[in-house]
Amino acid sequence: MAPHTDWSRRAFLRAASGSAALAAGGATLLSGCSSRTTASGATRVRIWSWMTGMDKYVAAFNAAQREVHVELSVIAAGLSGGYAQQTNAIRAHNAPDILHVEYQGLIQLLATGGLRELTEDLADLAEGYTPAAWQGVRPDGRTWAVPMDFAPMAFYYRKDLFDEHGIEVPRTWEEFRHTAEAVRQAAPGSRLTTFPLNDGSFFAGMSWGAGDPWWRIEGDTWLVDVAGEGTLRTAAYWQDLISAGLVQSAGTGTQDWISSIHSGRLWGLLGASWSVGTLKKSIPDDTGRWAIATMPVWDASAPANGVQGGTAFGISEESEVAEAALTFLRWLSTDPEVVRVGSEFTSPFPAWLPSREVAREVVPGDWFVGDPVYDVLDEAAARVPDWTWGPTSLGLFATLSDAFAEVTTGGTTLPDAVRRVQSSAVSDMRDRGLSVREGSPA
Amino acid sequence: MTVLAPTTAEETRPPGAPAPGRPRRGGRAPLAALLLAGPFALLLLGTVLVPIGYALYLSLFTERLSGLGFDGPHDVFVWLGNYADVLGDGAFRDSVGNVAGYALVHVPLMLGIALVLALLLDSATVRLRQVWSLAVFLPYVVPGVIAGLIWAYLYSPNIGPLQDLLPWDPLGGNGVLPSLVTITTWQWTGYNMIIFYTALRTVPRDVLEAARVDGAGPLRTAWSVKVPTIRPTIFVALVFTVIGSLQLFTEPLVLRSFTGSVTSTWTPSLYVYEEAFISNDYGRAAAASMLLALASALLSALVMRLSARRSR
Repeated sequence: MAPHTDWSRRAFLRAASGSAALAAGGATLLSGCSSRTTASGATRVRIWSWMTGMDKYVAAFNAAQREVHVELSVIAAGLSGGYAQQTNAIRAHNAPDILHVEYQGLIQLLATGGLRELTEDLADLAEGYTPAAWQGVRPDGRTWAVPMDFAPMAFYYRKDLFDEHGIEVPRTWEEFRHTAEAVRQAAPGSRLTTFPLNDGSFFAGMSWGAGDPWWRIEGDTWLVDVAGEGTLRTAAYWQDLISAGLVQSAGTGTQDWISSIHSGRLWGLLGASWSVGTLKKSIPDDTGRWAIATMPVWDASAPANGVQGGTAFGISEESEVAEAALTFLRWLSTDPEVVRVGSEFTSPFPAWLPSREVAREVVPGDWFVGDPVYDVLDEAAARVPDWTWGPTSLGLFATLSDAFAEVTTGGTTLPDAVRRVQSSAVSDMRDRGLSVREGSPA
Repeated sequence: MTVLAPTTAEETRPPGAPAPGRPRRGGRAPLAALLLAGPFALLLLGTVLVPIGYALYLSLFTERLSGLGFDGPHDVFVWLGNYADVLGDGAFRDSVGNVAGYALVHVPLMLGIALVLALLLDSATVRLRQVWSLAVFLPYVVPGVIAGLIWAYLYSPNIGPLQDLLPWDPLGGNGVLPSLVTITTWQWTGYNMIIFYTALRTVPRDVLEAARVDGAGPLRTAWSVKVPTIRPTIFVALVFTVIGSLQLFTEPLVLRSFTGSVTSTWTPSLYVYEEAFISNDYGRAAAASMLLALASALLSALVMRLSARRSR
């Protein structure tokens, strides 16, 4: 027994020193990986993103110059884990140099204290962006991210069926209700559109179009107004359409939805600029049927158009290569080459206005009929009213869809649900220690 | 369980006397023991105890922002504040209610079917035993996410047939509970059937023969001989199923993208997920996790306790 124990002690020591060496080797290897320059002397910049085709943009950038080498890690999309991963990385002080933020998630990420202020660095670009996108990265007058694309909402419709039945494209929400009735009359099994009750960001976009921002910044205080006049008007309007059976209320993007828009059970879609790509991908063979229009408006004399989604990129507060990261982001945001690369797999709608002119030229426009897609989206983007996202907006989307769950069974109505969400939004923010005031500006 | 544990030498030896059969070895034996137990202890420490300790630590703090929140958060020690918040949160109580309702239907239904199938399989009347058991076992091999997707498509209107066939709306407000029970029962019945069947194979054949000689039919034999013999196995399966029900997560998460009726906090696990990864409230998520773990432990202890009393 004793010799064995002796042996095992020696073996243990050997094993221990071996694993220590291994650990040291691993550490060297790791630090080698995170070294700030590549073998060829380019500055290494790490980016996390879930944007489709980001690998192609990065490859194009890396091929075009030698000073900066960007390394991409594709992460899960936004609320499917992307934000969680980025927030955790910021907490653990190992965030990548560039973080993927959307306008709607920017403030929530800002509240982790992990983003670098870019006010000075981007001041020269101020004039080039769609104003609403520029405001989206400057919630408090300081710039926190670089805008990438912009996503004004738009109304997509089956032009062939509309023409066949002599239905006009609705310009106001009042007309929209008549259109919904006309569609049901023309084809009793069909509806004009669906109002996806399980999508909080969709409802936010619809409320944005009604013109009452859910959050405002007043000095050092958040003004929270989720149940403002415009939002309640939107909620009551859709409650009426759902109760009357004029629209569906199931989600979009599902197999059921794709089958519905392909087979003519749905004649329209309330979507955003990125729905151009969604439609082309979901029903590629339905060429020449669909057209695009700006969103119906509440007041024809003051047309307003909401926004759903849109991407921007931030730089980590702790990044040691912020300059190089900025070089890449400026290229990504404003270089015409990005649009050319992007047009090969999607229909980009850049926030940078000169790039949009490029997109108009290079994106094939043969799928849609009716008004040119970029004309309509430009018009929609120009109609976008002021809006500020809040520090709990992502969580609020979940709260909204939870609150809307009982609408289908008649357990609640949209306006009632919205009022409940307002009070829980306020108490959530107070719980987090934020300075909050309820209601609209005095 | 009915036999008293034999008194050990340890207990009868006078105090102070050296333990027999355990000579001192100048610390070498402990070293060997340490070496052998080391890997396990390290793994236990690194993957169970430290994470639990850290979750406990996290659950006592909360992040506070100030003003607009742009300066980043600072941690505040709140004692048991997070626990009070979780218990006072209607959404959490609803989620507990949901899994309780789910477990009440799923546990007896699934275990009942599994037991009946195992007994049928064990009776000599079944032909093609292996094909049959493989067919029932197959759903268990399908990963939870895939199973959720398959069923979600089956439930979807216009795509799957079930919307028209089922007496309830499978994705509607009151329909998601039976829909979920269907998915998980489909998934787990085969697995538990195999466990029961394996246990049934160990029932002594002479006992079964004796029962037959005494005039017991197949039903009587199954109920009075086979089931009592494998009772411990049934209770172990019961404990696992109850814990699994409490931790229900994957299937409702998948169904969420098909219907708004499964809310973001529909089960306690979803509640934890939502608090941690969407609302970024780690303190509250940790507190809810600790409560969930505590509830699992208590329930398992209760079930084991009942099983011990029953088999006496």
